[in-house]
Amino acid sequence: MNLNKLFVLSKSVKLGRNLIAARVGHVGAGCLQKRCIRSSARSLAYAKDLFLGKVNKAEVFPYPEISNEELEEMNQLVQPVEKFFNEEVDSKKIDHDAVIPPETLNGLKELGLFGIQIPEEYGGLGLSNTMYARLGEITSLDGAIAVTLAAHQAIGLKGILIAGNDEQKNKYLPKLATGEHIAAFCLTEPGSGSDAASVQTRATLTEDGKHYLINGTKFWISNGGWADIMTVFARTEVVDEDGQKKDKITAFIVERAFGGIASGKPEDKLGIRGSNTCEISFEDTKVPIENVIGEVGGGFKVAMNILNNGRFSMGSAGAGMIKKLIELTSEYAGTRKQFNRSLAEFGMIQDKFATMALNAFVMESMAYLTAGMMDRPGVPDCSVEAAMVKIFSSEGSWICVSEALQVLGGLGFTKNYPYERYLRDCRILQIFEGTNEILRMYIALTGMQYAGKILTGKIKEMKKGNLGVVFEILGKKLKDSVVKTVDFGLTGKDGVVHPSLTESAKMFEENAALFGSTVESLLYRYGKTIVDEQLALKKVADVLINLYAMTAVLSRATRSINIGLRNHDYEVLLANTFCKDAYFKNNYLMTQLQKNSPENNDASIKKIAQEVLAKRAYICSHPLDRTY
Amino acid sequence: MVSELIHICRLRKQKWRQRHGWTRSEKGAVIIVLRSFHCSAVCSTSQQDQKEPKEASERETQSKDRTLVTHEDIFEKAAKNSKTKGNFNRVVDVFTKNDIRRRGHVEFIYAALKQMPEFGVEQDITVYNKLLDVFPKEVFVPRNFIQRMFNHYPRQQECGVQLLEQMENYGIMPNVETKVLLAQVFGKKSHPMRKYQRIMYWFPKFKHTNPYPIPQVLPSDPIDLARFSLARIASDPDAKITVFQYQTTDITETGEEVLRPYIVGIQSPEQRSLLAKHNHCRPVFVEGPFPLWLRKTCVHYYLLRADPIPPEEKVKKEFDPEWIGPEQSLFYPQRVELDLERDIGDDDSFDVDDVEEGPVYAMCMAGQGDETTLAQWISDLQETCPTLGQIPTVFRLESGPGELLTSSDVQQSPELEFETDHIIEDEPLYSKRVKQ
Repeated sequence: MNLNKLFVLSKSVKLGRNLIAARVGHVGAGCLQKRCIRSSARSLAYAKDLFLGKVNKAEVFPYPEISNEELEEMNQLVQPVEKFFNEEVDSKKIDHDAVIPPETLNGLKELGLFGIQIPEEYGGLGLSNTMYARLGEITSLDGAIAVTLAAHQAIGLKGILIAGNDEQKNKYLPKLATGEHIAAFCLTEPGSGSDAASVQTRATLTEDGKHYLINGTKFWISNGGWADIMTVFARTEVVDEDGQKKDKITAFIVERAFGGIASGKPEDKLGIRGSNTCEISFEDTKVPIENVIGEVGGGFKVAMNILNNGRFSMGSAGAGMIKKLIELTSEYAGTRKQFNRSLAEFGMIQDKFATMALNAFVMESMAYLTAGMMDRPGVPDCSVEAAMVKIFSSEGSWICVSEALQVLGGLGFTKNYPYERYLRDCRILQIFEGTNEILRMYIALTGMQYAGKILTGKIKEMKKGNLGVVFEILGKKLKDSVVKTVDFGLTGKDGVVHPSLTESAKMFEENAALFGSTVESLLYRYGKTIVDEQLALKKVADVLINLYAMTAVLSRATRSINIGLRNHDYEVLLANTFCKDAYFKNNYLMTQLQKNSPENNDASIKKIAQEVLAKRAYICSHPLDRTY
Repeated sequence: MVSELIHICRLRKQKWRQRHGWTRSEKGAVIIVLRSFHCSAVCSTSQQDQKEPKEASERETQSKDRTLVTHEDIFEKAAKNSKTKGNFNRVVDVFTKNDIRRRGHVEFIYAALKQMPEFGVEQDITVYNKLLDVFPKEVFVPRNFIQRMFNHYPRQQECGVQLLEQMENYGIMPNVETKVLLAQVFGKKSHPMRKYQRIMYWFPKFKHTNPYPIPQVLPSDPIDLARFSLARIASDPDAKITVFQYQTTDITETGEEVLRPYIVGIQSPEQRSLLAKHNHCRPVFVEGPFPLWLRKTCVHYYLLRADPIPPEEKVKKEFDPEWIGPEQSLFYPQRVELDLERDIGDDDSFDVDDVEEGPVYAMCMAGQGDETTLAQWISDLQETCPTLGQIPTVFRLESGPGELLTSSDVQQSPELEFETDHIIEDEPLYSKRVKQ
């Protein structure tokens, strides 16, 4: 009797759901139309929509392409750069001497690598983000040079490029493009680098109102020792609408020639030793007000824009490095004989190479997908995507370099081979441009904020006990459990994914749908206190990174098959392997995120750490201790 | 079954005691009729070489033959000069050698147990083992199952248990020697053996229950002791201990000797920054002495504290929402703009009434608890925190360190406290007179 009732109920709910779904579908179509009209001002981003359990496939399918002319131009550009790096750059010497020799720097300048993204009218190469990423693959072969270049143009002069006015551009960009002037980005200060309160550098307006006097110290400034132009962020007093005085951050272009600038001794670092990192202190540095980037008090947005969009290139850089390592290591594995078999025949060695190939493939896919998204017209906000690329590639690189070194065993540990240098160099990737921890918080919280704004009403209704909403959700859950099909339209008749990737696409869809409901339940449970649930946020970020990586490989592999690129079957293999792996990882992570799940060890993990941190030592007794 | 047996044994024991008129006095001293020692002659000859306490006591007991003498007296007399471990051991040795039959050994052990704290050997495992050794070996070991079933030599067994009990009370862990002795004396399945096994089961488990252990022997140097005590009270591992002044004696021009007592202070960086932010109009208080017990030692410390900050004066530091919100990726985000609270099901917080207390800025221990010394401490603190000089400092000192206040003292002290409760001006740095 009861069962029957339930069945009827579920049926009716299903009916209702269908009706709603139909309506939603209709509305969705309307949205799509609207979107087409205003395609230039893109407000939605792919990653954020995943938090709502939506797959905005138009954003990521098909995989972005560049035109034939661009490709040709790029190939012309890539060849000399590659040649230069293979022949002229002595990475070992740079690492040993902890300085990049001037002739190498001059070579880089001649190649135009100091002005890759500066428009041609200012004497730069004027390349797109995609092309920048491609060049990044090569420059990454030497960590010190890559960091020097990135500090110069990815962050150092980016402020002038994206927020400067024409006068500033005319004045500074030409010299920066040729490398005559080198730029640096000065934001971090002594104290903790991830604490907003640590910005103490202050800019005060002089009495005549024409200059600012900057006072303060900046830490960890790449290129700090030799930079001529610096983007400096300092607190300024701003009067807001209510007439209250407030401290706001303002960005300034500061020339070393302004005076009052002293750089400290270069830091002796573990890796990227050739790059110059030091402390810079400003003492009454007089900066004309024309040198304010953007508006006074608007420096924070400038800083975030610079940083948020600069990270994507780390993906291609990591991929470039791994590709090189695969070449080096596979040669060794093929020639080295052990027990009358070459290393390449051993399963565990093969495992390492598969890891490297998979990682390189995923990194590449993510980096160029993101770069392509950023190259679209309008002002796309790809900061979450870029952060994901950064996290995935920095951690993947570390693992791959370590595996490559392992293949060589003891030899890899010596300075006779470049592996130890790569290992040291790539350790910084997880630290700079926003540590991976902060970026995970950023990814998870940005998405939570976005989803929360939309879901708040619904969740509140649910908490109030609105039967309609509750039944709707129950019905949805029931339906999901009975008919276990999630369909975002990636596969099937009008699918965007190639049939050979159907299974992976289904896995992705299932993950994405589950992610949506996981986010909802997290919001339901924690509300705005989610900020304090760092371990949960970490898992959310990890799932999202996996989802984005799955999207990228699906999209890329589909394109490769469709246009018949060489070895596309291998890409399919890689894509399917990665997706399956990520699917299970995601499922596990999301199971952990369920309430009271036995898989979740977070409480214990916290407790373990707290005990140790309270005593500031490992507190267990020694296993050999006795009590009597 | 076993418990029943034990019960029967106990009943038997009581009856036996009643029959024999054998009672233990309340103080635990066992009074016995001292019969003449059989070996007295041997004793007196063999102990010629043994000098002083023992001999004296022995002779006296001999002279008072056939009188009531307690074993305690032997100890008392033996320790006329000094109560040391050596003397104690000698008494035990004498008893053991006196009589091959060890007559009266139970009473002797009871008396010895009672005397142990006075001789300062209550913490010494070797002494306990020595006492156990007084029991004759193998005599009390049950030889068949019937003996084993009933309480074999109950008095002796109880005495053995009592000895172990005393060890337990002083937290002394028996060692292998104890075990061997017990096995020799009472056998492997006797009550004392069971007691031993129980001790060995529980003691190791409770050995490290105190998360803040105090060493058995405290540092003798008062400055080291102060360091140890202050570090123990201060919960912040970053807190820094400073010895502001070592104990010295100065001789003034008039030839008087002036003792400059030691001052040891502790302050954490957080306390320092709190003190720097202290509102200059509000006074800070030097209070004390407060007692701190370290085993049997009591030390005293002083606080520099202030009243709780009234809510209207609290400045909540607010960051630019732009900086700490989720829409940035460089700094640690601390805020999400959502109109959703935590769900009740996930709210694990307790409903705790927070009683706000005023901040404690620093602590110190000093050789003397007078105002001069503590004022010296305050002026030393000003080296790291110059603003302290502008803050009115009120000394609220109770009667100096030393004895803890007994209940009668407390009743008398209020007026005294009121008298000492006055303000001193902090030399040149602070000119405003503050009335309390």
